[in-house]
Amino acid sequence: MRRAGYAPLRDYAAIGDGRTVALVAGDGSIDWLCLPDLDSGSVFAAVLDAERGGSFQLAPGCAFTTERRYLPDSNVLETTFITDDGVVRVLDAMLLPGDGLAPSRELARRVEGVSGHVDMHWRVEPRFAYGSRGPRIALRAGMPVATCGQDAVAVSAWEAGDPLLDEHSISGRFLASEGHAALIVLSAAHQEPLVFPPRAEVESRCAVTLAFWRDWAASRTYEGPWRDAVIRSALALKLLIHAPSGAIAAAPSASLPEQIGGERNWDYRFCWVRDSAFMLDAMMQLGCPSEAEAFFWWLLHASQLTHPRLGVLYRLDGGAKAQETTLDLSGYRDSRPVRVGNGAAEQQQLDIYGDLMQTAWLYASANSGFDRETGRRLAEVADLVCELWRQPDCGIWEVRSEPLHFTHSKMMCWVALDRAVRMAEAGWLPPRHVTRWEAEAIAIRDFIESRCWSDELVSYTRSAGGGDLDASALLGALMGYGVGDSRMASTIDAVRRQLGSGPLLYRYSGEDGLSGGEGAFLCCSFFLVDALAQTGRVDEATDAMGELVALANDVGLYAEEVDRETGAFLGNMPQGLVHLSLINAAVSLSKAQHA
Amino acid sequence: MNVWGAVAGGFVGTVVLTTALRAASELGFTRMDLPFLLGTAFSADRTRAKALGYLLHFVVGECFAFVYYGIFVAIGHSGWGLGAAFGLLHGLFASTALVSVLLPIIHPRMGTADSSAAARPLLEPPGFMMLNYGARTPLVTLLSHVSYGAIVGGFISLAS
Repeated sequence: MRRAGYAPLRDYAAIGDGRTVALVAGDGSIDWLCLPDLDSGSVFAAVLDAERGGSFQLAPGCAFTTERRYLPDSNVLETTFITDDGVVRVLDAMLLPGDGLAPSRELARRVEGVSGHVDMHWRVEPRFAYGSRGPRIALRAGMPVATCGQDAVAVSAWEAGDPLLDEHSISGRFLASEGHAALIVLSAAHQEPLVFPPRAEVESRCAVTLAFWRDWAASRTYEGPWRDAVIRSALALKLLIHAPSGAIAAAPSASLPEQIGGERNWDYRFCWVRDSAFMLDAMMQLGCPSEAEAFFWWLLHASQLTHPRLGVLYRLDGGAKAQETTLDLSGYRDSRPVRVGNGAAEQQQLDIYGDLMQTAWLYASANSGFDRETGRRLAEVADLVCELWRQPDCGIWEVRSEPLHFTHSKMMCWVALDRAVRMAEAGWLPPRHVTRWEAEAIAIRDFIESRCWSDELVSYTRSAGGGDLDASALLGALMGYGVGDSRMASTIDAVRRQLGSGPLLYRYSGEDGLSGGEGAFLCCSFFLVDALAQTGRVDEATDAMGELVALANDVGLYAEEVDRETGAFLGNMPQGLVHLSLINAAVSLSKAQHA
Repeated sequence: MNVWGAVAGGFVGTVVLTTALRAASELGFTRMDLPFLLGTAFSADRTRAKALGYLLHFVVGECFAFVYYGIFVAIGHSGWGLGAAFGLLHGLFASTALVSVLLPIIHPRMGTADSSAAARPLLEPPGFMMLNYGARTPLVTLLSHVSYGAIVGGFISLAS
């Protein structure tokens, strides 16, 4: 049920083609689509402004209920509309190239009458450049098109009624009877003429698309008790991988709020270095060596311009600039400002060096090292960590308050130097600075153990000398800091006690420079499962995993956060780190159960 | 004037013309993509079509340079200015008759006012002055063709 024009965030499913992602609401409206790429301007953004954002609606003209699922092991969404007059099934997919000259982006909506006679209505209201530019709508060669500068979309409709054009939209209605199959296709062009596809080729590409997803899912290697959740997560992650570069976006959406009506609205359509180790680990665990390799080399390539320093995040094309601006949109349920770009790109975060070195360590371990030039570059990164680790930073959660000596950042600096030493011992990094790396790693550990531990809380604290807790300490354990140590074991308990309720965890206590609050952070909850599994607490981990898997929406996707009271989703979705951490937790749990 | 001036001018002029059109596309002035339009007449494969289109574009550029050369020889005059005037005429011809009318007739994948997407994929037709590809397309087309003409005229007049 929509409220003031907005569907609950939990209602959204995602479809995509490796270049962009559309968010489809439970009532059949596509409320988010950026073209030509995931990080381009939007053509549909009703999720951020129900009046001016633009959408592609498709639903019965009478009252209905819906049931949804993805076709098994695919990213083809099936929505079944159930009405008093009959039942209609809609298949939504972003099509992959197949036979013939295909549009550069193609979104297909196939409507099949299952029973009875249902009056179906559809309306395409494109609003280019995040709703700031209205389209020019006209017929070209008998085809309805909407154009705006470099961008254009065409609407092809077969057995879906005669399209009606007005100043703002292209619409139609038709009767879907049993055995009837209508097809509505949105073709997009950027900096080139539109391609108007024939139905036979669209149908062929629909089959190619479904077959691709099923083949890809069938190639994944996880076989454990959480297979459905793991494969769905893998398919969701595949949607976030930018096919031309191998980079993975944190999420396909921007500015979906962490608090309804609040200011914590961020653009996640970038690749965070922080996610890299999880990404590589998950891809390798799932038997995706090509994706893992593409990502690792993309990461090295993207960071070359800033070497030896790392950017917190990079654009999907590898650029380091992500200037943050605000849009003149009302925001999801009046959650403003609506931001695109991300100011975190300018922050200093020390933990990312540990993520990079862990990523390199995982890659090198699986591939017996890498070339000498890469080794030299990574050694220079380790040297930089020796210089930087004493500085305060903004931490993994990108706080906008004053920089602090965050415990997690120090732990990850230790991880960076520990992995550098290990890689040098394996002969993959030049060894001339190993003594310095070892000495600095000891100094970091001394700093953490003396200044980031609280006897009162019986836990590592959020920052040096502070009295707050932070779930990111769990990551230290997952990366190998303090494993088997009683301090880390008691930190897990303290974090659960202070920041959690059941399996759900908040990120931290204390200030972050922003007003308002946020929901429970789902990736932290999966970190907890992983940490419990890795510390031998298998029964607790299994129980928590079961509860978390049940929190997914009806099609198996997660947003960044969940409201602990209502179960409502908050933040951008589907969120890559949540799905990555789910996969890694499931793998750890399976290993622990078989240990 | 000699024919090698036309060869060189045709090549350099087409480089400038192609670069100008691509830059205009990147800057958001137009959705016109001449190599894509030309290449898709022969191939439905996007990558192959673009590669072929660039090759064809250069061949066509050389052909027009020879036409310029023939006219210069016939009238006994050549130069940058005259070439630019020819380029203006060339641009008007290209954006009205050539691309707007003739290309949709001979292009097997281009839509016309009478066609519908029944059996084959169709390219969006360019419309008068190629305005379907953006309001500033005519300006971009004319300026780039004036540059082409000036370069061809200049090279031909300089070659002895």
